[in-house]
Amino acid sequence: MEYLTIAMPKGRIFEEALELLKAAGYDLPNEMEDSRKLIVEVPSEQLRFILAKPMDVPVYVEHGVADLGVAGKDVLLEQQRSVMELVDLQISYCYMATAGLPDTVMNDVAPRVATKYPTIATTFFKEKGEQVEIIELNGSIELAPMIGLADRIVDIVSTGRTLKENGLVEYEKIADITSRLVANPVSYRVKQARIRDMAKRLQQAVGEMQR
Amino acid sequence: MSTIQPFEKPLGMRDTLPRLYAQQHTIRAEAMDYMRKHGYEFIQTPSLEYFETIGKISSLDEAALFKLVDNQGEMLVLRPDLTTPIARIAAAKLLKEKNPLRLAYSSTVFRAQQREGGRPAEFEQLGLELLGDTSALADSEMLQMAAGLLKSLGLQNFTITVGHAGLINHAIDQMIPDVKERDRVRHFLVDKNFVGIDRWAATYPDSKEFFAFFQQSIRGMTLKELLEQFPVLQTEAAEQFLAVSNWIDDLPELKEHFQLDPLVVSHMHYYTGMVFEVYAEGSGFALGNGGRYDDLLEQFGMKVGATGFSIRLDYLLEILPIAVEAPTRTLVYTDQNSTREANQQATALRTQGNYVTVQFKESVLDTKAFEQNFDDVIDLTKEAR
Repeated sequence: MEYLTIAMPKGRIFEEALELLKAAGYDLPNEMEDSRKLIVEVPSEQLRFILAKPMDVPVYVEHGVADLGVAGKDVLLEQQRSVMELVDLQISYCYMATAGLPDTVMNDVAPRVATKYPTIATTFFKEKGEQVEIIELNGSIELAPMIGLADRIVDIVSTGRTLKENGLVEYEKIADITSRLVANPVSYRVKQARIRDMAKRLQQAVGEMQR
Repeated sequence: MSTIQPFEKPLGMRDTLPRLYAQQHTIRAEAMDYMRKHGYEFIQTPSLEYFETIGKISSLDEAALFKLVDNQGEMLVLRPDLTTPIARIAAAKLLKEKNPLRLAYSSTVFRAQQREGGRPAEFEQLGLELLGDTSALADSEMLQMAAGLLKSLGLQNFTITVGHAGLINHAIDQMIPDVKERDRVRHFLVDKNFVGIDRWAATYPDSKEFFAFFQQSIRGMTLKELLEQFPVLQTEAAEQFLAVSNWIDDLPELKEHFQLDPLVVSHMHYYTGMVFEVYAEGSGFALGNGGRYDDLLEQFGMKVGATGFSIRLDYLLEILPIAVEAPTRTLVYTDQNSTREANQQATALRTQGNYVTVQFKESVLDTKAFEQNFDDVIDLTKEAR
């Protein structure tokens, strides 16, 4: 049996994805996430995990250095890479939304939107028939409306607490976000039996967890 | 914008250095030989074509086209594919002289980078087109040529996934009542977004039949079983597909390389019949693809069937174990008085197959470093004697 390489984001998603894999019948050791190791091998199951930044997972998979990956739909929407989406793992649920100061309208002349997700924001406003100027930030997006940098922000919302604590309100929901099992199209064909088997088992495990 | 440094090339453009050039040449020569022996004749089309015709018909995303304006004010494109220009010349001229027509090409195409680097914007494709034949046997010939070519080049671990554009389109049209929903599903299939289809099925009530078909296909149900379970699919397209499938089963030595998958949808939307994609271990991207495109030639005023495929030479190079024949490289040093002798010796060595460089020794600044590029050194200068 050949090795399957899976790119995973570090941290909570990794743990949740591991739980799913275990539920799907994969025999994985309990202590997997050694603080510094970037590659973890599980020879008994012929699996190799690459621990990556969440934004980089689709890059590894697209280039084929990882056969599979676990990536948030936010990252997939933003990067538009050619990877296959096989299974909705239903973990790390959140959603993408626009937010801003309460009771405000967007500037008529040059509405500005701050975000970490320029592609998603551009597409969303374009489809609504509005032309906006995107200001790309790397974090603490909530600051932008508070200090007058932007009229709206586009960001992921999980509980809504951060928005509330900063005096912002949600305006429109853009998309639901969950983590997905993605595959490199070549791996999907060349290692088809193993990958289809894993997708099937994970789908089942996801179904059981939902119940 | 930052200033351009003297060593920089435009985004996605690459140099082919001597070593790589030699490897490319070896593979290209072998591939060309294989294609010629199967009755295909090579042609070359221009680098520049009109945007109005080739640019629009080629079905590539407009953002991927390199556009420029000629001195008549016409919009031009750097050729983004070979199939469309070949359809142009075949419809205009070649098919009138020979029909069916078998053509081959080995040319670079240009497709602009849309994201970061790591992908070339100019790359060479090796390909075939069989024009004027609508039979399932012509489809089979393409599959056999693709698999045979890769095998003859020494590739072992490759997979050719075969689908049928007519069948999947028929399935979508028959099983999904709403035109808008059909487009969504087609989009998901092109993107290979199976989660998208799962979610679509969960929210759209009329999705049941198509979703059942989709799930059975993913689970690996055979074509025959699919046609039994979904009788609405039994059409001419299904029959063609079945004929190709039966033909594959009859090829013991190539059979293992083929996979049938009714869900294959190409991003090149001119395909009408059988479509296939070529994958090989070691390359993260598809090596090539092909299929039947019966409507394309109509756009050039001729209604004939056509089928073809292309393989990317750069991806092939990444994964092929290449044994470039390495002849002995000989260096002959000369001075004013020994040029005649040097040339005689060089000619003699060249007839034996050596690659011989004759070099005036005084012009070489660092002889030691220079000599490292050669296997043999013959010094005919006065000091050396």
